Amino acid sequence: MFKLEKFIFFTKSYNQMILLTDQLRTVVAHSGIQNGLAAVITMHTTTGICVNENLDCLESDIDDALKRLVPEDIPYAHARILPDYGSTAGNPTGHIKSMLAGNSCIFPVMEGKLVMGNAQDVFLYEFDGPAQRTVTITVTGE
Amino acid sequence: MSKVIDIHTHPTFFETINSDPNTFEYRRQAMGLYKAVLTPLQHIFDQMDYAGIDKLALLPLDLTTVDGQIVVSNDEIAEIVRQTADRFIGFASVDPHRKDAIEALEYAFEELHLAGLKLHPSRQKFYPCESELFPLYECCIKHNKPVLFHAGISLEPDTNSKYARPIQFEEVAICYPKLRFCLAHFGWPWVTETAALLLKYPNVYADTGLLYFDNAREFYNHVFKTELGEHWVDRSLRHQVMFGSNNPRFEQIRMVEALRAIGWRGSTLDLVLGENALAFLG
Repeated sequence: MFKLEKFIFFTKSYNQMILLTDQLRTVVAHSGIQNGLAAVITMHTTTGICVNENLDCLESDIDDALKRLVPEDIPYAHARILPDYGSTAGNPTGHIKSMLAGNSCIFPVMEGKLVMGNAQDVFLYEFDGPAQRTVTITVTGE
Repeated sequence: MSKVIDIHTHPTFFETINSDPNTFEYRRQAMGLYKAVLTPLQHIFDQMDYAGIDKLALLPLDLTTVDGQIVVSNDEIAEIVRQTADRFIGFASVDPHRKDAIEALEYAFEELHLAGLKLHPSRQKFYPCESELFPLYECCIKHNKPVLFHAGISLEPDTNSKYARPIQFEEVAICYPKLRFCLAHFGWPWVTETAALLLKYPNVYADTGLLYFDNAREFYNHVFKTELGEHWVDRSLRHQVMFGSNNPRFEQIRMVEALRAIGWRGSTLDLVLGENALAFLG
């Protein structure tokens, strides 16, 4: 069996974390799948999907760490008109942070429920907002 | 702090006016924005709120005699403004080669209550000093409405910069001292020509919709601190430069940040980010 749902978000800030755990649990619960895998995947190249603990202190630490690793004020090559687009490329830090974060996560599903650690939550990371973002949640199994 | 106004944006891909896929694709090709996506108003408002922008001027484009089509119509602009007047300022566009150009402009001002006229010499194929244009300028003066001209190079297809070099607009400034008009994109790459016109003619304005190389901070520093003297805007042109992003081709949010970081006095920033636009709009 296979179940896929799309979720659309309007992010409000340049960098932002959005909790997705409730959406993931809901899709798994409604999928009818008892045993399999659930995947959360972003459809963008300047966002990330991460698993971490839902604490505001960690949220700011992660944001600060990414800013130290990928500063805004250095001369990136991805800062130019892209002829294929006809518009400016000005989001190199978003692409690099996206690469660091990864674009997906996966969890087992057993007896119709997610198998997750107590401290684990799933987040969409916005790295080039505000923007309209789409995330897919897929459940496969039997 | 004064209201922040972006005097130069294109609503071409707003979801509310793109229910027809063929129209949407024509608009992509006509604007040379080949991978543009449908833009919900919610996203526009989110960007404005994050950047601290209160209002956007929306520019249509009438290519009736050039393409046989209108990219975005005056009626569409009026309808967007009618639904969300607190966030948008609607401009009109008229193809000057239309036989009914003056009637179309009168209708846009009197019936649609649009705030000014956008003209694109490079795309609509005219020199700004041609006599064919004079009735349109006189109509704008009669209604106390400004003109926003595309100036400098255009990245849109089927455009020729010869029509839009800043110096081509001097005749208009001389003949129509009561006509407020803006040279969009600061007339790039001829920015010193634009600066010279601003210096001499107080009815001439320019907008900051230029980001042709690098990122916004780098390019603004190059243009406003190297190509132009570092203090020219802050000391001499501060009442005639307006924030314009040319969104969606350029990056509105980072352009506001870059202007704030350029080093102009706070009072100059207030002028550039909003007060000059209010004066320009009359």
